[in-house]
Amino acid sequence: MTQYLITFRTLTQAQRAARLLERAGYTVTIRRTPAGLSASGCGYAINLRRGVPEATEMLKRNGLWTGRLFRREQDGEYREVMP
Amino acid sequence: MIYLDSAATSLLKPAAVERAVLQAMRTMTSPGRGGHAPTMLAAETVYACRETAATLFHMSDASRVVFTMNATHALNIAIRSLVRAGTRVLISGFEHNAVTRPLHALGAEVCVAGRSLFDPEALLREWRAALPEADVAVCTMVSNVFGYVLPIAEIAELCRNAGVKLIVDASQAAGILPVDAGRLQAAFIAMPGHKGLMGPQGTGILLCGEDGDPLIQGGSGSESRLQTMPETLPERLEAGTHNVCGIAGLLEGIRYVSEKGTEGILAHETELLQTAVDCLDGSGFELFTGPEGTQCGVLSLRCPWMDCEELAGRLALRGVCVRAGLHCAPAAHESAGTLETGTLRLSFSPFLSAGELAQGCSVLLEESEKTKRN
Repeated sequence: MTQYLITFRTLTQAQRAARLLERAGYTVTIRRTPAGLSASGCGYAINLRRGVPEATEMLKRNGLWTGRLFRREQDGEYREVMP
Repeated sequence: MIYLDSAATSLLKPAAVERAVLQAMRTMTSPGRGGHAPTMLAAETVYACRETAATLFHMSDASRVVFTMNATHALNIAIRSLVRAGTRVLISGFEHNAVTRPLHALGAEVCVAGRSLFDPEALLREWRAALPEADVAVCTMVSNVFGYVLPIAEIAELCRNAGVKLIVDASQAAGILPVDAGRLQAAFIAMPGHKGLMGPQGTGILLCGEDGDPLIQGGSGSESRLQTMPETLPERLEAGTHNVCGIAGLLEGIRYVSEKGTEGILAHETELLQTAVDCLDGSGFELFTGPEGTQCGVLSLRCPWMDCEELAGRLALRGVCVRAGLHCAPAAHESAGTLETGTLRLSFSPFLSAGELAQGCSVLLEESEKTKRN
């Protein structure tokens, strides 16, 4: 199953987003943002495996969308994608 | 021991608070400092505390619950975010030094209105008249010296109507009276974790209606390449490692208050207040009491024939813990006319029974009678 990553600037923003999605039935894990994806250094992200378009819409509606979504490719690299 | 000093720090806490502190020491590190289990467990606990506090205080956004070292720290962030030299600040006549000292240090132009003890109508009249000349207002919800419950909902409404930003000091109210941030719409509401919220010392909360300016700068666990603090709350105001053990305990304290309900806690403390008054009335003490609804679980008194510190010292030797003096609130004593003598203060908690309080009052009467005879 394809793995997606939504990155956040701070831990609390990631936690708010994770709580929102969990309450909507998503299985979400919070993790550190890979160093190469974090322009300002050190951030947190949430992993998602399904329902990405709906999840991003939900985050947008609640003011939590950061505009940064990545898909994990087969080679293990992350590529930024549009929701 | 009979502990009658919960307005300073609650001593008896729910057992879950102590367990949570110990568990945090054993299993948690610092939130935002990695992705391993001890840091993520700390992050989850700290966030759970934000959410629980947000629910109790009617904040829709948990990220606007900022953790501080204590109420003084929270008030300093709030005041320094809104006040500069020359800012005209309206305060009540019952503010603590945690409010008045930062204002003095900043060179604010302070106006005091509402000095009559247990007279909320007079306070509102005076605030209505003074607000047009104010840029910022700071008001306590409850006087830490007298337990006087100030009419904060009406004050907040006056401030909103006048377009004046309000900072609320909820130090004596949090965990005892309802604190409804959504209704008050204050710029900031500051409170300690270690009094009515039943948390450990070294914990405090700032509810942020506004973003606020960082009091200190440092590590935030995010956006580390930037040389400014993150723009978003709570990280913006929480530089450095959190008091995770304290916050873990505070979480359990807030859960306790949420389950018990402030209505029940206030009713218990009001009954205790009446118990104390019944025990001490007619003994020659000057009791500072107000009409129904204007006083919560704090009773100040003066013994005309004995220094309050002397009396408190004698009680301490008998295992009765009270506080005497000015209680870090000379402004409140100035308002009540007790600045020269101070008062002896009894303050209550959900873990104090009427029987224990009556026993404490008996000791107080005995000790004062001894000197009366001498």
